[in-house]
Amino acid sequence: MEFAIISTLNGVTYGLLLFMVSAGLTLIFGMMGVLNFAHASFYMLGAYVAYAVSSIFGFWAGLIVAPIVVGLTGMVVERYLLRRVHAHGHAHELLLTFGLAMIIEEMIKLFFGDFPVNYQMPDYLRFSAFSVYGTDYPFFRLFIGATAVVMFALLWGLLTRTRTGIVVRAAERLPSMAEALGHNIPIVFMCVFGAGAALAGLAGAVAGAFYPTNPNMGLELGVIVFVVVVVGGLGSLKGSLLASLIIGLFSSFAVGLDWSVASILDLVGLGGWAHSIGGLLTLELSSVSATIPFALMLIVLLVRPAGLMGERN
Amino acid sequence: MASMRNLILMAAVLAVLLIVPPFLGLGWQNALVNILIASLFALAFNLLSGQAGLLSFGHAAYFGMGAFATLHLMLAVEDGLGFPTPLLPLAGALAGLVVGLVAGYFSTMRSGVYFALVTLAFAELFHSLTPHLQGLFGGESGISSMRMPWQGIIFGSVLEVYYLTLGWVMLSILVLWAYTRTPFGRLTLAIRDNEQRVRFLGYNAHTAKMVIFAISAMFTGVAGALQAISNETANYALFGSQISAQVVLQTFVGGATIFFGPVVGAVSFTLFAYLVSDLTRSWLFYQGLIFVLVMLYAPAGIGGVVQHHMRSLRRADWTGLAKPYALAALGALLVGSAVIYLTETVAVLFGEEYSVNLRNAAGAYPGYHLFGLSWSPVSPLTWLVPLVLAGVGAVLLFKVRGTIAAKWEAMGRPETESTKAPDAAKLKGGAA
Repeated sequence: MEFAIISTLNGVTYGLLLFMVSAGLTLIFGMMGVLNFAHASFYMLGAYVAYAVSSIFGFWAGLIVAPIVVGLTGMVVERYLLRRVHAHGHAHELLLTFGLAMIIEEMIKLFFGDFPVNYQMPDYLRFSAFSVYGTDYPFFRLFIGATAVVMFALLWGLLTRTRTGIVVRAAERLPSMAEALGHNIPIVFMCVFGAGAALAGLAGAVAGAFYPTNPNMGLELGVIVFVVVVVGGLGSLKGSLLASLIIGLFSSFAVGLDWSVASILDLVGLGGWAHSIGGLLTLELSSVSATIPFALMLIVLLVRPAGLMGERN
Repeated sequence: MASMRNLILMAAVLAVLLIVPPFLGLGWQNALVNILIASLFALAFNLLSGQAGLLSFGHAAYFGMGAFATLHLMLAVEDGLGFPTPLLPLAGALAGLVVGLVAGYFSTMRSGVYFALVTLAFAELFHSLTPHLQGLFGGESGISSMRMPWQGIIFGSVLEVYYLTLGWVMLSILVLWAYTRTPFGRLTLAIRDNEQRVRFLGYNAHTAKMVIFAISAMFTGVAGALQAISNETANYALFGSQISAQVVLQTFVGGATIFFGPVVGAVSFTLFAYLVSDLTRSWLFYQGLIFVLVMLYAPAGIGGVVQHHMRSLRRADWTGLAKPYALAALGALLVGSAVIYLTETVAVLFGEEYSVNLRNAAGAYPGYHLFGLSWSPVSPLTWLVPLVLAGVGAVLLFKVRGTIAAKWEAMGRPETESTKAPDAAKLKGGAA
């Protein structure tokens, strides 16, 4: 029971963090059809900007400045780089973001070194929110989760309840029609890209204070964010939230479970045979926990490429 | 005429590759082996990405499979199996083919971005699973073996490995080139350009794409096998996204629309890594920068630029172009040096060594040495140098760009040139 509760809590907060990063990615894909390989780099950039700013002006300043800086970076990338290669097709856009991801990572290494930096939450946030079964549960995990929930509510409200949201959704569905109606679609694209990047930057600023901040953090999260976006459905915000929670919960549960195909076969009396075969059959769930998301992604892509909540196209 | 010239050029390259290496040092011989392997890898990758227009982000999977299959065969040879050492890459080819058939069957069910994602998922699946499979992949440390002698050849020296690699790479390149001449090779291009039409003509596009995928994976497997023979070891890192990324970079910088484009990319990147990685720790940064610049300003890659000039060799007004080209080169040189200067300065000023000096200097900013000169971070000269370099270079480039474009425009476009990006039309992001 203790394991279940702790794992659920950790899984939900981790899932919400994943959602913060993937929300921008899925928005950008839904609108421009660009699979942004640099998105996780924006997340890392957010953490490092927040670290640099917070070491001088304090934690909260970092939290505010990071999304702004990263958002502006995103807008510049869209306006001056992506738009230029747009004529050459989606492959080139994808390759460009891919190159950008490399550049951002190497620049971070240039300025901050190829090792983790000491980006920490302030001491007054370092307390336990409550304790479960004698274990103190850190408040900051709840803080990460709350940031994501607030962000989701704001984003959802913005997209569905405001005039801006209507324009954005129109630009997503039928860009040329929306443009014909007099809306400045290139600006909308630039702003959406910037907003998506800013969200990733905010996620980085918040999460970097809790998880290690190092030049690999973008790469580590990058692939899993792709999984989330694909499983949820490319372009679907609700799908991303659902998929983030599924992946988050799954990864926090899987590390503590030693189930394997062999142990299931034990129940029907085939365990001995499975153990003699070894290999895949005796792998424990905990050791393949990094594999399952990719298997899930593969299955979704092959069976239902639109994802859990995406629209079929 | 043109084909005759190409033939002579290729014969010359082959002769150099055959004759020169014995006179080179060990480091260069090793570098050449790596260049050959990278070239084959990029060519095999480009069969799928450039020629068939299917952008794969997970070709490390087949490279790694080829390497591991070969190592297992090498282990069997060590235990007394009478398999000739020079034929070891056949194991890599077989592994690449089989895994490629399975992965290709599933991946080619999707197209565009979704295809890229499926290939990515396959590679990541292998990358995350293989460290846990002790028997087949040797866990995290991987597996190692030794090259066994065969018919008096002991395969002990790098030179012997080099000639073995050269033989296999040349054979593979020949086959890959012959492939483009077959009806199926033409079909490959047709699938890239208009898949619907191919289907309408009565071809089974899915089967065709699966076969192309498998052939590409097979030659990738050969490249992996050669790597395994050269290194005598392999671990799960071979499946990593870095390997997949590298081949994408090399291919597109070299030029995916031209047959030998990927070779250009592979050779330049491998040489770049070999030469520059000793000089500076920021070489990966420069590599990324080069890639993005090529994507922005020469979408057809270095090979595309070369081809464009080769095609207009006779009719272009070279005397008129010489001056603006020289100015452009000068401008690029100036901007380039400014970028290098700034990058290296940042690397020094934010490095660990400098931060120690800074602490010892107590408040003052100590000077540092770079490019054989000493600089002070608070002196205006330090920051004026890159500013002037970049400024002058940028103005030059900006001015000369219009001139060059106007000159080419005045000459008109060559008839045979295709400005179409390889997979521009394909990656419209549909799950069809």
